[in-house]
Amino acid sequence: MGKKVVVIGGGITGMEASVQLSALGYSVTVLEKESQLGGHLNDWTVLFPNLRKGNEIVSFLEHGLELQEVNVIYNSKISGIKKINKHYEIVLDNQKQIIADAILVATGFDLFDAHRKEEFGYGIYENVITSYDLEKIFAEKGEIKTPSGINPKRIGFIHCVGSRDEKVNNHYCSNVCCVTGVKQAMELKTLIPDAEIFNFYMDMRMFDTHFEELYLESQKKYGINFIRGRLSEANETIDKRIILKVEDTLTSRPLKMTVDLLVLLVGMEPSKGTKEIAKLLNLKMRESGFLKPEDDHTLSNVSNMPGVFFAGTCSGPMSIKYTFTDARAAVTKINCYLKEYELQHRILLN
Amino acid sequence: MGKLYDLLLQDIRFEEGLNACMNCGVCTAICPAAEFYKYDPREIVDTIQTKDEEKTEALLKSETIWYCGQCMSCKTRCPRGNTPALVIMALRTLSQKLGYFTDSEKGRQQFAIKRTVGENILKYGYCVPTYAVDPKMHPEQGPIWEHIFNNIDDVMDRLGGNLKKKGSGALREIHQKNLDELDKIFEVTGGYKLYGEIENYSEKKAGEMGLEFKKEGIDNEYFRHVYTCNSDNHGK
Ligand SMILES: Cc1cc2nc3c(=O)[nH]c(=O)nc-3n(C[C@H](O)[C@H](O)[C@H](O)COP(=O)(O)OP(=O)(O)OC[C@H]3O[C@@H](n4cnc5c(N)ncnc54)[C@H](O)[C@@H]3O)c2cc1C
Ligand code: SF4
Ligand code: SF4
Ligand code: SF4
Repeated sequence: MGKKVVVIGGGITGMEASVQLSALGYSVTVLEKESQLGGHLNDWTVLFPNLRKGNEIVSFLEHGLELQEVNVIYNSKISGIKKINKHYEIVLDNQKQIIADAILVATGFDLFDAHRKEEFGYGIYENVITSYDLEKIFAEKGEIKTPSGINPKRIGFIHCVGSRDEKVNNHYCSNVCCVTGVKQAMELKTLIPDAEIFNFYMDMRMFDTHFEELYLESQKKYGINFIRGRLSEANETIDKRIILKVEDTLTSRPLKMTVDLLVLLVGMEPSKGTKEIAKLLNLKMRESGFLKPEDDHTLSNVSNMPGVFFAGTCSGPMSIKYTFTDARAAVTKINCYLKEYELQHRILLN
Repeated sequence: MGKLYDLLLQDIRFEEGLNACMNCGVCTAICPAAEFYKYDPREIVDTIQTKDEEKTEALLKSETIWYCGQCMSCKTRCPRGNTPALVIMALRTLSQKLGYFTDSEKGRQQFAIKRTVGENILKYGYCVPTYAVDPKMHPEQGPIWEHIFNNIDDVMDRLGGNLKKKGSGALREIHQKNLDELDKIFEVTGGYKLYGEIENYSEKKAGEMGLEFKKEGIDNEYFRHVYTCNSDNHGK
């Protein structure tokens, strides 16, 4: 029997890493706290940057699980992890014990809870929703209505909700919300061709392949408006529309706009599960709470605990493409470790 | 780094107020002054963080820094933890210290404020007690205020104040012991020194403008000028 690897979390990261590890001959167990695999991938109907269906990625990952033998334990709650000599003993809530020669932490992210930006009115004004809620509306496939039941004619998107904001103690950029805002604006415009759509941004971070092209297309073909200014606060009119107060910083003018629907582009935070595992294993975290590697350039998946590795969005915001890449990168590190290759002991001169 | 920037850095409010601005515009969007005046707190903060000596000097001499109502709304929202209002307070104090405030219409009003509110606090222990808001000086208060002002004792009887009397209650006389404490606070914190500077620079300006100036009171040409002059060129 090969050496044992336990993967904690069965999102994209955990699913991809586990089949790759299994292909290398390791005995792999995935511990997933929910009753299904896929993590947040299950939340997105159509994906940026190419508007393909989220389901397609799910089927690709599931096909991997058909080809390779991976033991998945659903609804698993880890209550303790002990290091015994060179291996780890993981104890579940039901007292089951699992031995691991190496652990891959793939516990992902949580969406920023928009209630925390009280001044934006989420949970207070019914026509303020998040990008996550909008995906649920898209998934229902019917006519697009606001929570008040009208066909929205003017829609606002707010970038950076819960990111780049000292007031909620999240200084980092969540990477994926700019392009999500562009994608969702285009989808809404397709469904409601006479709607006016405004995206309020500070910087358009369209860093990856095809992102900038999508941005261009959203302006040229879809007529989406982009206004450079961050929302200060939202208020509600008597007919439940939403008044936005921003500054159009490119013309230096304060601006008030009333919209039928306001969409908050919520960012990523290290998941609760990530923090729990970090505590159980004494893993180093960044100030942001995302897991911190031993070296940012050369050891990106390597934790401070021997035999414990991590990948995906538990280490910081990233899109699906980078999540796949990161999962596979972690697999090579784990392989190096379990095979005791000399390579893993390379030194950095400074 | 400019000399003026160095001077600003000596003000604790400046250090507290400016970290690094990312020009998001939240402060301007929330700012009540920006709704009416040619005023943009974001631009002020951004200008100051360039540390450009000339631009900073222009601000110190401008109308702009006097538009802020110091409501502090900008503090509650800035995603970078800046407080534009504190930056502006530091600019105002520096403008007063260097005498640049007399270059602008709104800045020159510092003199009127010092001679009224600024002296009230030391005389009465209140900045704006009823008896110091003379309807002749404040026509904007309207006829109701005029009635209250002229019948203040009756009004107080009905509302239960304790105007200028010993004991407790609203608008009571402030005990000499407390006035002495205020006096010490102004001495120790440099409040008197700043008052003196406002007086000196204003007198100098009055001379330049050929207006009569008196060392005390509000009955002089320069006071009347700064108190009433309005170019009506401040709004959007
Ligand atoms: C609004 C939004 C829209 C997005 N849209 C796109 C898109 O269109 N295209 C794109 O490329 N990317 C998109 N992304 C990014 C994408 O969602 C992520 O890249 C991807 O989901 C990351 O996968 P993951 O496995 O790292 O984490 P997750 O999806 O968070 O999976 C983590 C898994 O671990 C489990 N888990 C957590 N803690 C524990 C624990 N303690 N024990 C056991 N199990 C645990 C969770 O239940 C979950 O199943 C979007 C992100 C956001 C925020
Ligand atoms: S990706 Fe865009 S919206 Fe998201 S945090 Fe970064 S700048 Fe803000
Ligand atoms: S304190 Fe001044 S700058 Fe800040 S919001 Fe109030 S008026 Fe505007
Ligand atoms: S809110 Fe803060 S970061 Fe934004 S423009 Fe104002 S000072 Fe700069």
